Amino acid sequence: MKLPVPVRAVFGLELRSLLRDPRTVLISVVLPLFLIPFLLLAGNWVEDRRADREDARVYRVAVTGADSAFAASLIEGVVGGTNGAERERFRLVEVDDPQRALQTEALDIHVEALSWMEWRALVAEGEVTRRDRAGPEFDGAPVLRLRFHSSHTGSRDGVEVLRERLLELRASRRDALLSEAGFPVPMEQVAIVDARNVASQEQIQGARLGRFLTLVLLGLMILGGSAISIDTLAGEKERGTLTTLLTSAASRTEIVTGKLLAIMAVALAIALVQILNLWLFLGLGLVEPMAGFAVSISPGLAAGLFVLYLPAVALTAGVLLLSSAHAHSYKEAQFYLTPVLALLLVPALAPLLPGITLQSAILAVPLANLSVGAHELLTGQAYLPGLIVAWLVTAVGAAWVTDRSIHALHDEGLITGDTSRAEFFGGPELFQKRVLRWFAAFWAVKILLEFNLPIDDVRTAVLVNVGLVFLVFPFVVIRHFRLDPVEALALRVPRPGVWLGVLIGAPAGLVTANTIFRLMDFVVPVPTELLENLGQAVTPEGIPMWQLVILLSVVPGITEELTFRGVLLHGLRKRFRPVALALVVGLIFGFFHFQIFRIPQSAAIGVMLTVVTLYSGSIFPAIVWHTLNNALAVYLGSEGMESVLESWWWSAGAVLALVLAFRIIWVFRTPYPDVGLSPGPARAEPSDVTARPPSGTAR
Amino acid sequence: MSDSPVRTEGLSKVFYDASRGEVNAVDAVDLDCSRGEILGLLGANGAGKTTTLRMLSTILRPTSGHAWLMGHEVRAQPERVRAELGFYSASTALYPKITPRETLRFFAQVNGYPPKSVEARVEELIDRFRIGDYADARVEKLSSGMKQKVSIARTVAHDPPVLIFDEPTVALDVLNAIELRKIISDLRSDGKAILFSTHVMSEAEQLCDRIAIIHHGRILAVETLDGLREATGLHYLEDIFVHYAGVKDADAAAEANISSEGAGASPPGAAPRGDRKEREGSSK
Repeated sequence: MKLPVPVRAVFGLELRSLLRDPRTVLISVVLPLFLIPFLLLAGNWVEDRRADREDARVYRVAVTGADSAFAASLIEGVVGGTNGAERERFRLVEVDDPQRALQTEALDIHVEALSWMEWRALVAEGEVTRRDRAGPEFDGAPVLRLRFHSSHTGSRDGVEVLRERLLELRASRRDALLSEAGFPVPMEQVAIVDARNVASQEQIQGARLGRFLTLVLLGLMILGGSAISIDTLAGEKERGTLTTLLTSAASRTEIVTGKLLAIMAVALAIALVQILNLWLFLGLGLVEPMAGFAVSISPGLAAGLFVLYLPAVALTAGVLLLSSAHAHSYKEAQFYLTPVLALLLVPALAPLLPGITLQSAILAVPLANLSVGAHELLTGQAYLPGLIVAWLVTAVGAAWVTDRSIHALHDEGLITGDTSRAEFFGGPELFQKRVLRWFAAFWAVKILLEFNLPIDDVRTAVLVNVGLVFLVFPFVVIRHFRLDPVEALALRVPRPGVWLGVLIGAPAGLVTANTIFRLMDFVVPVPTELLENLGQAVTPEGIPMWQLVILLSVVPGITEELTFRGVLLHGLRKRFRPVALALVVGLIFGFFHFQIFRIPQSAAIGVMLTVVTLYSGSIFPAIVWHTLNNALAVYLGSEGMESVLESWWWSAGAVLALVLAFRIIWVFRTPYPDVGLSPGPARAEPSDVTARPPSGTAR
Repeated sequence: MSDSPVRTEGLSKVFYDASRGEVNAVDAVDLDCSRGEILGLLGANGAGKTTTLRMLSTILRPTSGHAWLMGHEVRAQPERVRAELGFYSASTALYPKITPRETLRFFAQVNGYPPKSVEARVEELIDRFRIGDYADARVEKLSSGMKQKVSIARTVAHDPPVLIFDEPTVALDVLNAIELRKIISDLRSDGKAILFSTHVMSEAEQLCDRIAIIHHGRILAVETLDGLREATGLHYLEDIFVHYAGVKDADAAAEANISSEGAGASPPGAAPRGDRKEREGSSK
């Protein structure tokens, strides 16, 4: 098959540009050539050093306690055992304060020889980690308690060895006692157990290799392909060569094909070079292979693996190209690399799933199916129809991803480097484009603050985490995007009838949200301890009721509304239709409540508050509703009356009341501007026009 | 007229803006350009010059209307259109890692120049644009004047009948700008149909056979310089331009007043449509 001239030209250009960039070649090819063997070498060296040190180690043991003479004789039994090497490893030392010596590493193990009575006392106090189960009481058994310090290597390793030796000694003494008492057969002949592995050596090694081969290969390919893929489209945009290329007669398909082939070639070449390099290092004996990974693959198997992996190479290259096509700059493309890495490497881990075979749903997952297929091929259990389907599924995935790249080259916003229509106009419009990004960043900051602020006092913590943070954020947004505060925060006067709806709606909403929470409990049961913790979080003790109401109701009622029903709703108002808008705003509000079990409940309240704001065109009803909701929850919590919320009759009534409340608010509506809610007959009243200035003049 | 290498009919581009709704970046533009003619698009920044030329070069899709290059419609046959076209703008760059010779070969190839004749064509271009001295040095090592010559050579690498120069002199020093204008003038002698956009009056005066005055996305006049002088009674192009642009603004104001009762009226104090920035090139 001969490729069209433009495809070959693009392919050649990409390879030439890559090879002439010394930094890329150095980082993608030369450095890994040394780095990977070096890592292996260093790993082996560290392992050897550790083993050496362990061998040379002498553990210092101190013996104390009522029965220390007997204990010492036991230790002597270990130390003076038949094994000459062991004899050297433990040395009895005298110390004044064994506890202190353990702490200061002057001692490795402290053996306490306890009397039976002392031991019983410790058991009774629960001071014992290994409880010996009840049996006929045998007064007078010697007890050895080994104290060690797990942070000190010598102490940790030494206690393992000593404990093992002591148990062996115990076994041999027991055997001797039994023999003396006339036990009829030698101990080791009581039962004989033998295990034999029927898997061939190839299968064992193949299984080991197969689990990680795809992962390693993909890793190497991404390492090799990322530099060229970032350069190829994102780099062209940044350099200004993309317009030149796109005004040439080459079709988008030809351009993308040429670039895709170049990425594939480079990724494959670099992966092969690294494997060859590793093989060379191993073959020359410069580096020891990790245990169990000495595998010989026949040329036939290697060829089979190569064919099997081709769609994986194409898909990897395609995903890399697509991420580059969607980036406006080099930097943005680099930013995409981490998610791309996760996206590609996670399916490659499929062979680690226990009992996985190609005759399962995994067959439909591109990459994962090939990864499992390679594992089966290596263990000699290939299932040919499965392999063929896996190959085709991944190939279709690669084709689809490539098609998305071709589409991206038709996207005017992407190819002309114009990040958005909004940037074209700047200011308030830009906020509509950026609002989700800002909230994502805000969420991250919020979660950091919530869990890291060194504030012990509950009151201060609430004031900072709820009061200050949610007050500062809308303020920063309004300043940054030069928004009109009246518009952005919906500071308009609602019609009086709305308040009736709010009075009915707030309690009904609380009960309804709680019902949702209980319904969720059927799906995902919430642990009871968690519920108790939650209860404490809502009503911290020792704070007067009026303060609680202000802290947990009024403050969040105002500040959270300014953030969510204020700037968030304002920013998203043109992006979604009203129903979706209420759901999205509610859900985002839910996600800002970090206890995961509270999210559905909070989101439900959030949706209600959004609907109120959309209907009334004003933030004030939402503020009052939110405050009432929280105050009620706090009150019920402090009076221990949550059980009120647990009757299904209450739930049903609440839902009806909620519907009624929304109905009332709808009748007295002054719809939020720009979302496309029908204005209703009452809108013609002149008082409404003054309450809600048209968006144009407000700017 | 229908056999003109370049022809547009009601060519329009609407950008959507969230708060102001639709913005007509290019509004029903009718143009044509003959062989051996330089048609100048004269307008302020943001008048719609670049958008028009990008639609002709198939980078942007027209919202409505048509444009034909050598009889091929831009939406129906974009690849055929691009094969007949050389596109040059101040923001289009060269590949830094390859040489001028490789650059010319690459663009001849991707533009479908007959494979057997590519090498001969490359030599011819190196000769004609006198880039032989540095034809095998990497582009990243060249001076801006050298790069400019290579850029023009790659624009005509496949010998296209239509050439588009979008504000080509905007980032050039005086000498390079003079050289470029001379080259463009030579290309006219070769019989190319050339579209040339600029906001520099003197450049339009010197170079263009006909001048299209474009303002707020609309063509206000297309005439030879003499024709424009006759029509307005003014001598200097600058005065002529202000004359047309001013008239247009008055019209627009009148229209706005008439329609301000409608829902889509511009609010008082809002910036006029033309104040927005033109979409900038991808070089940033």
